[in-house]
Amino acid sequence: MSACLYNMKTTNHILIFKTNITTPEDRLEVAAVLDQQPFISKWTVDMEDIDCVLRIESAIAATAPIIHLIRSRNYECAELED
Amino acid sequence: MRYRDENKMQAIRDCAIEMVAKNGLENFGINRLAKAAGVSPATIYIYYKDKEDLLTSISIEEGVKMTRATLKGFDPNASFREGLWVQWKNRAAFSLDNLQAAEFFEQLRNSTYKDKMREAISMEFRKSMGSFVENAVKRGEINEMPLEVYWSVAFAPLYALIRFHNEGQSLDGRKFKFSESIMKQTFDCVVKGLSK
Repeated sequence: MSACLYNMKTTNHILIFKTNITTPEDRLEVAAVLDQQPFISKWTVDMEDIDCVLRIESAIAATAPIIHLIRSRNYECAELED
Repeated sequence: MRYRDENKMQAIRDCAIEMVAKNGLENFGINRLAKAAGVSPATIYIYYKDKEDLLTSISIEEGVKMTRATLKGFDPNASFREGLWVQWKNRAAFSLDNLQAAEFFEQLRNSTYKDKMREAISMEFRKSMGSFVENAVKRGEINEMPLEVYWSVAFAPLYALIRFHNEGQSLDGRKFKFSESIMKQTFDCVVKGLSK
């Protein structure tokens, strides 16, 4: 039920994280959790970048929950500051 | 919350074009770009998802800019001489004012970015240019010929002059400066060569 409230079409937040998601296998691991979040409309990992930047387009500013989700899969994740 | 800032975005774009123009694609990366543009990598990631996304969108934008500049005031129904002269003036102005963009395109040659850019701009370009040449053939001003033959005679001489100008010298180190009268003289030879 509450998921419906979060399932907004608009993307108000772009969240940027430094990670150690370096391979397609790593990417699949985190996909398992990220794809389940109704507030995430789109996400990408730049595996070519030194910081393996995870970029998330989200309906809510869920920085802390996302860090928690990624760390629960045993990957490093920290917000990349401006 | 992060907002899109058009000025910042423009600074990132300008810096990326300059970096690719100078050092090519191989050494180009988001972190280096961030350093050069004086922004955090996180800022660049607000606008683009990765290096490929960034280079693809910039090359499409630049390609569209070039197309618009080239087609400015151009009428595909104009006489061959008139239409081609507008093309020459527009192309010369764009190339001389956008040296960096020209270098950027040169670096992109043979890359996948160039293919995507071409896809995006070719429709509009071909539509106007195609009918221009077609009309000239129909009116009996020029002969029908393969595109490569047409381009090599119609435009390559102009780009040879622009190259001489950018290098500051022509053959045997002769000093060279581009001018409208030199362009007109070359143009007259080209039209004579292409005319029936």
